[in-house]
Amino acid sequence: MLKYAVQRLLWMIPVLFGVGTITFVLMHAVPGGPWDKTKNLPPQVVANLNHRYDLDDPLWVQYGKFLGSAARGDLGISYTNQDRDVTEVIRQGLPATMILAGLAFLIAVGAGVPLGVMAAARQNSAIDFASIALATVFASVPSFILGILLVLPFSVAWHLLPSGGWGSPSHVVLPALALSLLPMAFIARITRSSVLEVSEQDYVRTAQAKGMRPLVVHFRHVLRNALVPIVTIIGAEAGALLTGTFIIETVFSVPGIGRLLVQGIMQRDYGLITGMVLFYAVVITVVNLITDLLYAAVDPRIRYS
Amino acid sequence: MILFKQLVALTGSLALLLVVACGGNAAATPIPVAPVTTAAEQPPVSDAAIRVNLGGEPNSLDPQRASSLLEFSVLRQLSQGLLGFDENLMLTGLVAAVVPTVENGGISADGLTYTFKLRPGVSWSDGQPLTAGDFEYTFKRILSPEMAGPYSELFSAIQGGQEYMMSAEADEAAQASLREALGISAVSSDTLVIDLAAPNPTFLQKVALVAAFPVRQDVIEKYGAAWTEAGNHVGNGPYVLSEWVHQDHITLEANPNYWGEAPKQARIQLSMITDVNAELTAYKAGDLDIARVPPGTEAGILADPTLGKQVLPSSQLSSLALFLNTTGEAFGDPIVRQAIATAIDRDSWTEKVKNGVGESATGWLPPGLPGYDPNVGSEYRFDAEKAKALMADAGYPGGEGFPEFTLTYVAAGDQGIMAQFLQAQLSENLGIEMGLDPLDPPSYGQQVIGGRQFDMTLLGWSADYPDPENFLAGLFSSESFLDITGYASDEFDRLAALAAVELDQETRIGLWRQAHQVMISDAPIAPLMFVERYYLKSPEVQGLTLTGIDGEIPGDTRLAEVYLSPEPRVLER
Repeated sequence: MLKYAVQRLLWMIPVLFGVGTITFVLMHAVPGGPWDKTKNLPPQVVANLNHRYDLDDPLWVQYGKFLGSAARGDLGISYTNQDRDVTEVIRQGLPATMILAGLAFLIAVGAGVPLGVMAAARQNSAIDFASIALATVFASVPSFILGILLVLPFSVAWHLLPSGGWGSPSHVVLPALALSLLPMAFIARITRSSVLEVSEQDYVRTAQAKGMRPLVVHFRHVLRNALVPIVTIIGAEAGALLTGTFIIETVFSVPGIGRLLVQGIMQRDYGLITGMVLFYAVVITVVNLITDLLYAAVDPRIRYS
Repeated sequence: MILFKQLVALTGSLALLLVVACGGNAAATPIPVAPVTTAAEQPPVSDAAIRVNLGGEPNSLDPQRASSLLEFSVLRQLSQGLLGFDENLMLTGLVAAVVPTVENGGISADGLTYTFKLRPGVSWSDGQPLTAGDFEYTFKRILSPEMAGPYSELFSAIQGGQEYMMSAEADEAAQASLREALGISAVSSDTLVIDLAAPNPTFLQKVALVAAFPVRQDVIEKYGAAWTEAGNHVGNGPYVLSEWVHQDHITLEANPNYWGEAPKQARIQLSMITDVNAELTAYKAGDLDIARVPPGTEAGILADPTLGKQVLPSSQLSSLALFLNTTGEAFGDPIVRQAIATAIDRDSWTEKVKNGVGESATGWLPPGLPGYDPNVGSEYRFDAEKAKALMADAGYPGGEGFPEFTLTYVAAGDQGIMAQFLQAQLSENLGIEMGLDPLDPPSYGQQVIGGRQFDMTLLGWSADYPDPENFLAGLFSSESFLDITGYASDEFDRLAALAAVELDQETRIGLWRQAHQVMISDAPIAPLMFVERYYLKSPEVQGLTLTGIDGEIPGDTRLAEVYLSPEPRVLER
């Protein structure tokens, strides 16, 4: 398995190369550059700016420089963040996103899995319908509306929690909650259907015939065998949460990395865009690898050679 | 019983009176002027911070790089330039003791030499004295091709400025000698002389811009690009940058070495909430003292019993108009353009859609700007019949046969609603159909501003400096890179060229007035409105002075005078 893991990690290099190239090409193909605004700069100033950031080099030279510095781990500089290194910009925003994502992940898994199991265990009961209804609501209502719906009572009306910002534990509660609801809905649904499928198996009927209590049957026997699809969705959600979320971070003014890429694209900050995309590619690749390795841990029938 | 503190303060003020009465010569040994207040003078203040939202992260707090309103708002607290504007937008001396004029010898008779005498006793926030040498370094830095500052072109009138700005590709020695040849020199520690290559009557207004705020050479050389971080930053304004958590907030604290009166509130907390609605929520929750009113919610907020009383309107030197591509097929004919201008019911937009926020405009120069004339463009007051007649004259009776055209605009704020409003107006009043093309800012910048690939566009303009030259020269001179409409009028160019070098201010403003009239008659634009913004201000906030050149924060030119009364605001439940 170690050899498999190392192989996968080595594959990351061509993947990053491909991602970087595609991003570079797309970025320069899109209309408008970093100095194009609604009140444009004089041509001489634009010429000086292009000179300072090497944007007046031919494209293939720029591409070469980009590859060279990326290979050394230098993700470039951000034009819109006081020329700071993209690595440093990401490093400063990462803690907030990690805390938020981590807490949202724990809530989503911690609430979603049991909810799904209970819904499956008591199929077609009130709990089942209620949890399915909630899951549908959380999956359909956009996250910024959920966020505002949380802020209005807790912050504006009762002044229990801050309406936004960062810096203390009370700032984390509302955004983490808002962020966790959608993944929780998906995890609950997948858990429920996976558990239901496993419940049809013969060994489950045997356990029930032996007189085990239904909840014990579900949590000890069924759940463990239903884990493969659940691990898949948890892995996908972890990737999505770690790359930050633009909407929640904007609504709650969380200084994370979720806002950075979108802002970078809107301002055509080439340095920030390529740096962020490469960073995301690494994160997603690693999360996918961990998910695949978890399969082997969860289901002994899966072996990697 | 007199307290010791009051006794010291009293003695200090008596000593000051003695010195002033003896007529101290400004050129003699500088006498430090300590801000003196007795306990009786101070209004009751709470020690809370003034909490305002910046709306986003500043891209740079380097004055020569700053280009956005929110950067200006922060920089105005951290630094001050030679000159500034008072609440009537007249030039006033800040670090410079007086505004140079021909009468006081600050400006030479031919308008080519400007002499600035610095006020004595001004120092940087770290205690070092502020000298003319700092300003020499700053002005040279503005023009440096390495800096590529957004406002560098405004200073290119300085002798040697053009050549230096164009020397990006030259080698270091050549650049250094061009820098030396610039007409900027500190002839003594408190006197700065600037020579221009040609007369530039608005030069002093440009000196008052944020771009000309002084910077410290040794600090920049020591820290490089990180010199603007909290802890490294050195300025000369009423506040210092005590904390900058990127993407999150900025904290400003009173500068103990400030030459002027100490700020009434010792701390300002600037948050970076990017979403306007989240900002309003924070204000309602009591987390902000001032907030913007999101466009479109004005009616609801004005009607609210609590919030309605806290609304603060702010007129800025800002105009909005429809710019028409005069070189295109659709709008090449001036009669067609005049028909468009007459076919728009501006009042129904301002009153019904914007709930009274803003003012209908038939001209381009906004109220408060020298040269503003409420009667300009009166021929374009809404008149559907007249507009139809004009269209028929142009050869399109009832709009028949008019080529297809599109309105290109930036998809932000309420531009989308305005675009639809205009679409309805032109269809109803002229019978012509308009397509809509919303773009994001960089695409818009490249296509419309850079490439003139548009038929009609919505464009707003805010003053960089409060002068008609800023609103007219760049946008409508036929040679200018910003002549988006392709407007080319010999008469306008002639008047603009005369105004560009006219040193008598009254004559100069008169010339711009005429040029404005000429431009409006030719109708390369259909004026729409003068922009207004509404803010919410907590009743605790006192002493806020709004001006037409405010940045993102209302009253940011005088935040040091603002104080918070100790009674907290009642929050709605």
